[in-house]
Amino acid sequence: MVGSCIGVSSTCSFGTTLQWGPGLHTFISRGHIIDRNASVQVLNRTDNNSRKDIGIGIGIGIGKRVYFTAVSGGGRKMQTVVNAAAVETLQKGIAEFYDESSGIWENIWGDHMHHGFYEPDSSVSLSDHRSAQIRMIEEALRFASISDDPMQKPRQIVDVGCGIGGSSRYLARKYEARCQGITLSPVQAQRAQALAASQGLDDKVSFQVADALNQPFEDGQFNLVWSMESGEHMPDKTKFVNELARVAAPGGTIIIVTWCHRDLSPSEESLSPEEKELLNKICDAFFLPAWCSTADYVKLLESLSLQDIKAADWSENVAPFWPAVIKSALTWKGITSLLRSGWKTIKGALAMPLMIEGYNKGLIKFAIITCRKPVS
Amino acid sequence: MRLLTHNMLSSNIKGVTNGFPLLIEVEKVVEKQVDFNEDFLRNMFAKIEWKALVEASRTMGYTELPENSESSMLNSDEFLRKFHHALLELHLEEGALVCPETGRKFPVNKGIPNMLLHEDEV
Repeated sequence: MVGSCIGVSSTCSFGTTLQWGPGLHTFISRGHIIDRNASVQVLNRTDNNSRKDIGIGIGIGIGKRVYFTAVSGGGRKMQTVVNAAAVETLQKGIAEFYDESSGIWENIWGDHMHHGFYEPDSSVSLSDHRSAQIRMIEEALRFASISDDPMQKPRQIVDVGCGIGGSSRYLARKYEARCQGITLSPVQAQRAQALAASQGLDDKVSFQVADALNQPFEDGQFNLVWSMESGEHMPDKTKFVNELARVAAPGGTIIIVTWCHRDLSPSEESLSPEEKELLNKICDAFFLPAWCSTADYVKLLESLSLQDIKAADWSENVAPFWPAVIKSALTWKGITSLLRSGWKTIKGALAMPLMIEGYNKGLIKFAIITCRKPVS
Repeated sequence: MRLLTHNMLSSNIKGVTNGFPLLIEVEKVVEKQVDFNEDFLRNMFAKIEWKALVEASRTMGYTELPENSESSMLNSDEFLRKFHHALLELHLEEGALVCPETGRKFPVNKGIPNMLLHEDEV
């Protein structure tokens, strides 16, 4: 990474956030990590910070990298330019990551691309994981008080960030409902539809290549809005939550299961530099934009006047998952699959100990947040 | 993509005030048999945008749906079968969905629409 900042009160350091102050910032970055962090940092500052010294910039996206120059002086132009280039880069990264790694994940884990739910401190064998992944779905539905009653159960479901459709098919079968799934990855969408057809669910579930930040649906279509471990990919949490609320039908339920960082205490403005550094490394490997906390999600839902907002920390219930993933990666099947897959997948695999570190330090939380859209 | 899905989709391109319904460009239509479920059809009837369904089914080559509909028609088995066929059994396998305001095409490949917006459409 090469970076330099010239300005009255600006600092710039490798791998961590940039401080933007008044003055001229000439900043050229060719590092993968710093690109995304810098661009997301600009986004965050505009959203959360009342300081108006965001600069005007010109950004050039070439391949996966964003080269940009910023001149401070106010205005939102900088954000727009960096945002567009960086978000498209991020989207392409996400799509390619899942295009590449979906096959290997399915090979080893089956069609659910999410954590399993376990009793805390349990030691588990690999054969438990499939049922634990199912349990995760069931626990989420229970937490959100989704009814099995034929008159009250969901009939139209959207699976936001559907992967290869594991949740979609499970929910469609369970409630005899129709489910729409959206994913950025064309490979996943095709695979999802093929699996649905092979399971006789072709008329119950449909998949689209689409962006969760701009869902292609009309307002109010779905009784159940389901986001199982996709929220962490969304670079704009506000837009993400807005869209979930928009497509929810009056009286419908929204369920978000996602990774968050720990809530900040009232005296804290942000996470510590060490914490941010650990998150950055994980973000880079898994194509994740900046993290937010569970409390941030709750605030967003409150701001949209959604009701019955509930949140819980399930970190203890997923802790056995990563050591087991690592164990499976170290099997003959795991190693050969990884070697046959691409660099993105291998990088993701190498980052798994970082997830464990994050959980152990209480930095990374596995959260569920649910709410209901008012009836009128 | 079946017409049940089409009836839910709209173009959310920036600046577009009415992106529904999307026009359909047909390259390949496939008919897939689906089990008839009367309860489901009755349930869906209230939620479906009827005009959009009629237009879309005609584009796909099916002209049997009446121009207008009302709930009393649900008593007719013949109507229910036609509704069922149009809503669930006609698949756009290859083609495009077209924004009614901008003309922008969203491709449909192997039955899967790609609704991703470009950066200048957001």
